[in-house]
Amino acid sequence: VTSRPPRNDATSVDLTVTEDGGRAGRAAWDEAPCGLLTAAADGTVLDANRTLLEWTGRRHEDVVGRLRVGDLLSVGGRIYWETHLFPLVRVEGGVAEVAVELKAAAKRIPVLLSAVSTGRTHPAMHLVFAGAGGRARFERELVVARAEADRAASRLRGLQHVTAALSRAVGVQAVASALADAVRAGLGATGVDLRLDDPPQHPGRPDPPPLDPVESEPAFLDDSTVQVPLHGQFQRQGVLTLTFAAGPGADVPDLDLLTAVGQQSGLALDRARLHDQRSGIAYELQRSLLAGDLPQDPRYAVATTYRPAVAALDVGGDWYDVFRSTAAGRPAVSLVVGDVVGHGLHAAVGMGQLRSALRAVSVPDAGPAAVLSALDRFADQVEVTNTATVALAQLDLGDGRVRYACAGHLPPLLLPARGAPHLLWEGRSTPLGVTTDGGRREEGAVQLQPGDALLLYTDGLVERRHRGLDAGLDLLVSTVVRLGDLPPQDAVHALAQTMLLDQDNEDDVCLLLLRWLGDPPGPA
Amino acid sequence: VDVLSRNNVQVTGLPSGPTLVLAHGFGCDQGLWRFVAPRFEATHRVVLFDHVGAGGSDLSAYDPSRHGRLEGYAQDVAELLEELDAGPVVFVGHSVSAMIGVLLAADRPELVDRLVLVGPNPRYVDDEGYRGGFTAEEIDELLETMDTNYLGWSRGIAPVIMGVPQRPELGEELTSSFCRTDPGIARRFARTTFLSDNRDDLRRVRTPTLVLQCREDVIAPLTVGTFVHENIAGSELVVLDATGHCPNLSAPEELAAVMGRYLGVV
Repeated sequence: VTSRPPRNDATSVDLTVTEDGGRAGRAAWDEAPCGLLTAAADGTVLDANRTLLEWTGRRHEDVVGRLRVGDLLSVGGRIYWETHLFPLVRVEGGVAEVAVELKAAAKRIPVLLSAVSTGRTHPAMHLVFAGAGGRARFERELVVARAEADRAASRLRGLQHVTAALSRAVGVQAVASALADAVRAGLGATGVDLRLDDPPQHPGRPDPPPLDPVESEPAFLDDSTVQVPLHGQFQRQGVLTLTFAAGPGADVPDLDLLTAVGQQSGLALDRARLHDQRSGIAYELQRSLLAGDLPQDPRYAVATTYRPAVAALDVGGDWYDVFRSTAAGRPAVSLVVGDVVGHGLHAAVGMGQLRSALRAVSVPDAGPAAVLSALDRFADQVEVTNTATVALAQLDLGDGRVRYACAGHLPPLLLPARGAPHLLWEGRSTPLGVTTDGGRREEGAVQLQPGDALLLYTDGLVERRHRGLDAGLDLLVSTVVRLGDLPPQDAVHALAQTMLLDQDNEDDVCLLLLRWLGDPPGPA
Repeated sequence: VDVLSRNNVQVTGLPSGPTLVLAHGFGCDQGLWRFVAPRFEATHRVVLFDHVGAGGSDLSAYDPSRHGRLEGYAQDVAELLEELDAGPVVFVGHSVSAMIGVLLAADRPELVDRLVLVGPNPRYVDDEGYRGGFTAEEIDELLETMDTNYLGWSRGIAPVIMGVPQRPELGEELTSSFCRTDPGIARRFARTTFLSDNRDDLRRVRTPTLVLQCREDVIAPLTVGTFVHENIAGSELVVLDATGHCPNLSAPEELAAVMGRYLGVV
């Protein structure tokens, strides 16, 4: 017999492999360059390799059967294991590369933990702890950098939200309410209390600017509120008191962001105060210019009305005027409606200048075209910077004849006592301040019969963004027809009321209506 | 607000049975109850849900000021019970949900028939004459650990930071929603959970209460369980043989058996 029985051979080989393999396996387990651990389904340690024991400074017998996985980790990792990782291993079957720290005698060792759960009948967990010192430092730096980036981005978003809201607001009231809304919606404040400092000492006149810019103070915590000083360039404009949600999970208010918000708001309030002062002056100026009684005469009845813009926040430069003059040596009355382009103080001042100038250049027997030409020269000299349009009509009180001229202005509307109203398209020329060669002014004429009326108006009555001018003029004519025969005072109010029903006029509106009664007065 | 989808409410079990609400704690979602819930489906109408910010809840419903306090979560639960028209229910709260249950029972006693508190801790941070198990620094350490690990969370879902290109491969690796949440929400929820102090609320509870405590639990030590038991009048305390903070995963049979006995399920 030269060959051994295969069975014995196989048995001995099997045994050898098992014993050698067992020893080799144990050595590989213990000497692996990472911590290895087997745990029962509830997390109790069943076995741990030598590397893990050396890292944590523990003895095999103190760990096995006595400790749970969490006990080997630092406190943060332990809570994380109990609340996140253990559930994941149990429910999902494992976790991979989770950064935790092993608790050693005098230090903590950053590791990456991977774990799987195995076996249905005897469920257990296998865990690997791979050393991750350098990587952990690197990742911590990344986390810090990302947190910084997040904070910067959120700060920028907050600031943008507020400045966008502030930039849309005009006037102190609007800025204040935009600010309150923005800090509520954009910065998550639950309570907002805005106190503005006292308004300027000289209402109607801008304060002289103080000499030195003020030092701005940062936002600060005061009990449960955050105080945000609102600093303009030269003075503190007010203080914003903010309340934020309390509770352990609530975010800490970002004082740097709130300081920036306070500075932006202060500057916005600077601008808003200045705007309010200027528009207050413009409003007063315009009202005073339009005040005063119209010259009355038994040969005519005249009425005017002025309506401020609804959709804009500032006064415009519309005006009307009625004054006595002479035409061809006979008494006449001049009717004027004009419009200085633009809004605010500038437009109101321009309006005042032109209104006075028009009276001044209406020398005896100067017709409408001559008056407008003289006004052109005035406008050149005093540099009224805004363009202006004017409709001027002179009514001869002897015979009811009207001469009229329109410098870039909408045509007067004739309302005959009998027959359909129609627009007077004669006598048209360019607006004031838009000089053409020679600067010739055209003139038209129309004969009024007793009971006829003439309407002058500004473009705010008929112009709208959403419709053409023709449609606006058609509407004016049909409205006049519909309103029928009313005394001038009632007619101007009814007309303004009806035409401005849409509440959409972005411009102010002037109306002037004169009814010719005849000389001597006919039956009205 | 559709409360049921906000909180990803799932109703199973016996429609005509008494309602059993199983509330998950800090960390994961209603999946924590997967080994326990089926054991009550024959006898109870079983309600599972995710707190806002967790699992399949509507993340857009997360409100930092409402959810910065446990009262906000209790309010969510009250709303969903009202929506389910559930009548007084058995509320089982695990981990931080135990305190959410305490607030619910104290403030809305008509909604809760019985309370089961699994691993409750009314204050995690040690205080004078009270040992909750942690120092404030250790809670910071937890926040740090969470910051370096976004389990199953892809930044692709998070609010985009300007100028940072997304890495699509991240999204592909992350398939699980269990334990997944927005890192910002997780951070706040961790603070709300571990920095709240609800010790005084325990004494306001008049609802019959069972306190369940694991033999060994680093997050809710035995002394804390005893404190809870002593401060809720008439409560029962049962110490489970299980260890760890999640007996609903590690010892579902034992947990279900004790709960069943308390609820009179044979």
